[in-house]
Amino acid sequence: MAPALSVITVAIALPFVAAAATPLLHRLIGERTGYAGAAVALASFSLLLTQVGERGAVSFPWVPSLDVAARFYVDGWALLFGLLASGIGVLIFAYSREYMHGDEHLARYYATLLAFMGSILGVAFAADLILVFLFWELTSVASFVLIGHHTDAEASRYSARMAMVVTVGGGLCLLAGLLVLAVAAEPALGARTFDLSAMLANPDAMEAALRERGLFVPALALLGVAAGAKSAQVPLHFWLPNAMVAPTPVSAFLHSATMVKVGVYFVGRLRPLLLSPEWTYLFATVGLLTMTVGAALAVAATDSKQLLAYSTASHLGLMVAAFGFENAYGAEAGSFHLLNHAAFKAALFLVAGIVAHEAGTRHIDSLGGLWRDLPVTAAIAGVTALSMAGIPPFSGFYSKELLFESAYEWAHHAGGLAWLYPAAAVLASVFTVVYSLRFLSMFVGDRAADADPVHRAPSLLVAPPAALAVVTAVVSVAPGVAVDGIVQAAVDATAVGEPEMHVGLPDHVTPPVVMSAISIAGGVAAYGVGGRLRAGVGAATDRDALRANWWYDRLLVGAEAASARAGPAVHDGSLRTYVAGSITAAAALALVGYAASVTALPPATRSVPAAMALVLAVAGVAAVAVMIAPSHVAEVLTVSILGFMVAIFYILASAPDLALTQLVVETLVLLIFLLVIEQLPAFYGDTPRRVLARDAAVSLFVGATVFLTVLLAGREATAEPTAVARYYATEAVPQGGGTNVVNVILVDFRGFDTLGEIVVISVAAISVIVLITMRNRGETQ
Amino acid sequence: MTTTIMKTTARIVVPIVLVLAISLLLQGHNLPGGGFIGGVLTTAAFALIYVAHGLDYLEVGVLGQDVDPGTGVFDHRTVTAYERAFVVGLAVAVGSGFVALAFGEQFLSQTYAIVHDVPVYHEIELATALVFDVGVYLVVVGGLLTILTVVGAE
Repeated sequence: MAPALSVITVAIALPFVAAAATPLLHRLIGERTGYAGAAVALASFSLLLTQVGERGAVSFPWVPSLDVAARFYVDGWALLFGLLASGIGVLIFAYSREYMHGDEHLARYYATLLAFMGSILGVAFAADLILVFLFWELTSVASFVLIGHHTDAEASRYSARMAMVVTVGGGLCLLAGLLVLAVAAEPALGARTFDLSAMLANPDAMEAALRERGLFVPALALLGVAAGAKSAQVPLHFWLPNAMVAPTPVSAFLHSATMVKVGVYFVGRLRPLLLSPEWTYLFATVGLLTMTVGAALAVAATDSKQLLAYSTASHLGLMVAAFGFENAYGAEAGSFHLLNHAAFKAALFLVAGIVAHEAGTRHIDSLGGLWRDLPVTAAIAGVTALSMAGIPPFSGFYSKELLFESAYEWAHHAGGLAWLYPAAAVLASVFTVVYSLRFLSMFVGDRAADADPVHRAPSLLVAPPAALAVVTAVVSVAPGVAVDGIVQAAVDATAVGEPEMHVGLPDHVTPPVVMSAISIAGGVAAYGVGGRLRAGVGAATDRDALRANWWYDRLLVGAEAASARAGPAVHDGSLRTYVAGSITAAAALALVGYAASVTALPPATRSVPAAMALVLAVAGVAAVAVMIAPSHVAEVLTVSILGFMVAIFYILASAPDLALTQLVVETLVLLIFLLVIEQLPAFYGDTPRRVLARDAAVSLFVGATVFLTVLLAGREATAEPTAVARYYATEAVPQGGGTNVVNVILVDFRGFDTLGEIVVISVAAISVIVLITMRNRGETQ
Repeated sequence: MTTTIMKTTARIVVPIVLVLAISLLLQGHNLPGGGFIGGVLTTAAFALIYVAHGLDYLEVGVLGQDVDPGTGVFDHRTVTAYERAFVVGLAVAVGSGFVALAFGEQFLSQTYAIVHDVPVYHEIELATALVFDVGVYLVVVGGLLTILTVVGAE
């Protein structure tokens, strides 16, 4: 049975519609908008739930002429991602209701959050490359607004901008990569198409077509950069910790199940298409590097949200690396960990929010013994942090075991240096255990002596993370339930072939079990020397050149300085420079076009009637007179003579509409000149000779180009009309009902062009109003 | 430029120009003319008034309104009217395109009908393109006059 298009479309469109209605809703029910958001998320979640087990593509045409369609592809992988985003969305909205209590910009907050959720669902189900890109960029834009929620804080603006630059930069790489895929689809699928589901159906043909053209590595690199930027892979991970300035619910949503998972999701989506040794080298290396670096930085973090942010980067690395390995375990590890990580990380972020809310600080070292005041929260943190650490029998253990399995498997198969991969995975896991225990240290032990009293958290704040903890606990106790329910279907979509997935506690010693044992034992041991370890990591990473953030700042400052230098050279405020530049460029481009397309010059001899010759001669004289005119009035009048001569020329060439237009425009220009002429200074000062010479050269160049254009485009009056002209002349009356061909073309055959032109006029009018208003307010800068 | 010669000329010429502009707009489909030409010509007529009488003349002399000497150009009722004109024109043009969609045609498709047995004219052709053209006309008039008035006031 095919998935129902209407259900999927409604599930994606609903958040957007709700986002548009939010301002009004907020006016009506105020802070309770959070519940409305939760209801919308729940509706999307329920709609998607009805599609579980479906697989297939549905579409309706959007831009048929370009073969762009609103295509949605439903399978286990998309459903897993979509269900996570909407399900956790429900909890985030409910949590926001209490947490964002009293915030000033609630309407904007909820509207953006809804739009963001809709975009994520769009990415999950879009099966058209254009649509994928569109939703991908929408998530970037929405997250920019969400991260920069506190618009009055400099740090918040800085971080929002950073997230935007990195993820949108990645988005541009995505666009290029998607276009490469679309080009490769032509030989592979018989037509240039943006249909991702068709590509996924023929992975071998696509790969062969890409390789044949030498596009395989570029496509892989471009898509890799895009996914890496979105999923905070080293060296583009620096935006993620900075994004922690956002309100906690936003962090929890963005960094658990949605924004940062988009890259991972896309890697999993393209895995069957591009799986190859290059794929493994790229993603396994980047993923494990990120996993290790992120975990090490998380160990050194002192702020609870910062710790979770680096840990998120580390776990994203885990998933990317898992998808990188070319065996079935990789797909299983990636898919299963996507679910586990979303559940425990969202819960941990919400827990960190509760602690910050109730204890008034996020500094880990100054907190302790919170289990007395926040027992439920402590229990939630226990379950989820142990899952994060990968301690058996918690859910994170199973997916990490699968990663070890795939890394070991691959190293065994490749040999040599490939053994570094499992080694790196173990090292990162040691760090993971250390920072998970560190996070838990806030809840155990004794309270700090000078700590402020901690309030009991409101149940509304505790309920969402508790629900996630229950999910984690269920998966921990009965991993088979999750596998049968959805993960197996996701694995089928991301793996090559049909692997049967088995999870459970190990019953005999295998290499992955040994790796797990090493990482847990090592982690507990390392936690004992935590202080020294932190100092060591801190000292090792405390160099500017090692900080991606520092490079980003250097780049930004450098770009600003370069702009400041280049700006005045290009933008000197003189109209003369702009006109010279733009018409020279236009003329040069026209010449390039002729050089590329014209084969032979037509004969330069044309028969010109005496009347025309006379009119053109007068125009020539007028043009000379303009240049030597002694005053503004003389200049205006001579320019008008020139214009009217051209109008007469049109009449002689039997083009009444052109002549009329030329006449009225010329008249209007003359009148406008008369209006402003009194205000102009009589004397502008001497122009430097260099500028005069440049202007003369530009004029000659443009004049020559126009001459050439007329020569090439002009036709003998006796020549046969072209096919286009014939078509318009014969079809004007039957199709447009008008005998004035020019007008019929304007309003009927080429109506859309005319619409564009009148939009230009309107924009010009609006611009003038804006400019003058700004000047009246004194904003001349 | 507000000389007696100018004022007298404007008084005679402006009505003629306006009538001509409207006729160019209406007959554009079958004879030389159209929305753009009509619009520019109308603008020229207004520009002539401005040259002859100054910017406040329309409100003071024609409509009999008082103008506070201190108001900025944006508080002029005429300017608001011009702004409204090009917004309405844009809406009319785009709207005429959407009407085609309602009939299952492509955006901006036009059609026409010939009405017979009309007194005086015998038969009149009604083209939907005229609606679009009126939109063009309004945008041109509103846009150009906005620019002209605002810049002129400066």
